[in-house]
Amino acid sequence: MCADLSRTARTLLVCERSSFLDEKNRISSQVEQLRFNYKVSVLLPACSSSSSPLDSILNRFSSFYLIKKLPIYDLLDKDFLHNAVYQGSVYGLSFRTRIDEDNCVALMPNGRLVLSLDKDTFEMLGFEGRPSRFNNKTCSRFVVPVDLTDSSMAPGGRGYLRLLKVLRSHLNLQMDFLISHHPGGRATLQPLLSRYVWSEHRPEVSHRSLSNLVCPDLQSCDPLSLLEWLGAVDADVSCENLSSSFLSTLTCPEPKTTLSQALSVSICGLLLPQDVQQLVEQLRCYLQQTQKESWASVTVHGFTDSPVSWGDHEHGVLTRGENFYNLLMFQDHTYRLHLATGAHDACPL
Amino acid sequence: MESKMKPDGEKAEPPGYQRVVLKNASPHHYLKVRLLLEVESTRVSAVELKRFIVSCLRGLHGEVGAALEVDVLKYDEETLSALLRVHSRGLVKLWSSLTLQGSYQNQACAFRVLQVSPFLLALTGNSRDLHLD
Repeated sequence: MCADLSRTARTLLVCERSSFLDEKNRISSQVEQLRFNYKVSVLLPACSSSSSPLDSILNRFSSFYLIKKLPIYDLLDKDFLHNAVYQGSVYGLSFRTRIDEDNCVALMPNGRLVLSLDKDTFEMLGFEGRPSRFNNKTCSRFVVPVDLTDSSMAPGGRGYLRLLKVLRSHLNLQMDFLISHHPGGRATLQPLLSRYVWSEHRPEVSHRSLSNLVCPDLQSCDPLSLLEWLGAVDADVSCENLSSSFLSTLTCPEPKTTLSQALSVSICGLLLPQDVQQLVEQLRCYLQQTQKESWASVTVHGFTDSPVSWGDHEHGVLTRGENFYNLLMFQDHTYRLHLATGAHDACPL
Repeated sequence: MESKMKPDGEKAEPPGYQRVVLKNASPHHYLKVRLLLEVESTRVSAVELKRFIVSCLRGLHGEVGAALEVDVLKYDEETLSALLRVHSRGLVKLWSSLTLQGSYQNQACAFRVLQVSPFLLALTGNSRDLHLD
């Protein structure tokens, strides 16, 4: 029997419409869901880089830190737990580790430590875990979730001592680690940073001015066409092709208008949800101050190799590894929110 | 979804909440690919790349495969990397034909499929491109 070549892996897109004025809107919690953000792109019509309303808010995005060869057991250091993990929110993610090939570690703001390990590493570790949802036919990947705020994981507790022992003696796992803390920042992380080779990084900002941008009707455009158009703008792909063109037939969805001027800004790094929330609030204020009907688009991409996505749910790559959302805000406080996720990832709430 | 104004000028209640989950609804898939050639200085134009892709499809899947609509959305002649768009039902055919193509104009070649997604927007934010000095 022939395989069905027309089948593809599951795709999932959550489309929401609501208003910021609705008391029940869940934008804040949905922004918080995606903890490890790699890139934020903003598209503003009728705006130029010289008059960008975003510079001040983007410059206030938190710095993040890269620790070289951090032994993972040091994330269980008592002082680090008391001063950083239990106070405020720590965002930590292994750097340059691929979720489908290497061992990956994430430390989440709710105090959960997640280890995504290959089979050999998991067996050497000897700690409780479960098979990954992203295994093919054999169990080659395992996830070890640890709640550091649980009473058994308090410093000196039985679970804490056992995990510390296995991480230190059974498996001296070391990896480059991206880390940030809210609201303490460097001061809170300094004791950990000072023990290793580390560097501070500012998120990288880039601007692109666009002219004569063809734009669909953003209120009525169907979600998939809208996301395709936004992707074309972000990737600098032309949407003005003829149906008879040999190379590309990509066109802007109808009905369409032409914007004489637009600004595309992107910021990359380890970006905190709190900073994204501030950016959304700032854009809402900006929309209220503009003269004519306007809109603003914010796209947030999660880290491809994060072990978790959309809260505490497991994340994998398979062929794609996408976990992003797009928030399209209008001047009347309404918004369209689209959340996209990979093949076996959990559905965003 | 516009807010309606009441006659006395007070703002009406905000529009209701709507949530729709679309499963397997993407009509297209997008691929970020890169062509590696034995002779690195070989120049390949966008039109030549499109012709080559069509020939790859014909080679593995015949005339039916060659009739598959593939759009070259963007192409960089320096790095020989391209963004492609294909109907979702043709993704496996396109991907397999690119993977199994081993020669271009009598020199060895390989297509590296760097990223595949049903969303073009996902191809613009791959954290594996993050480099920190």
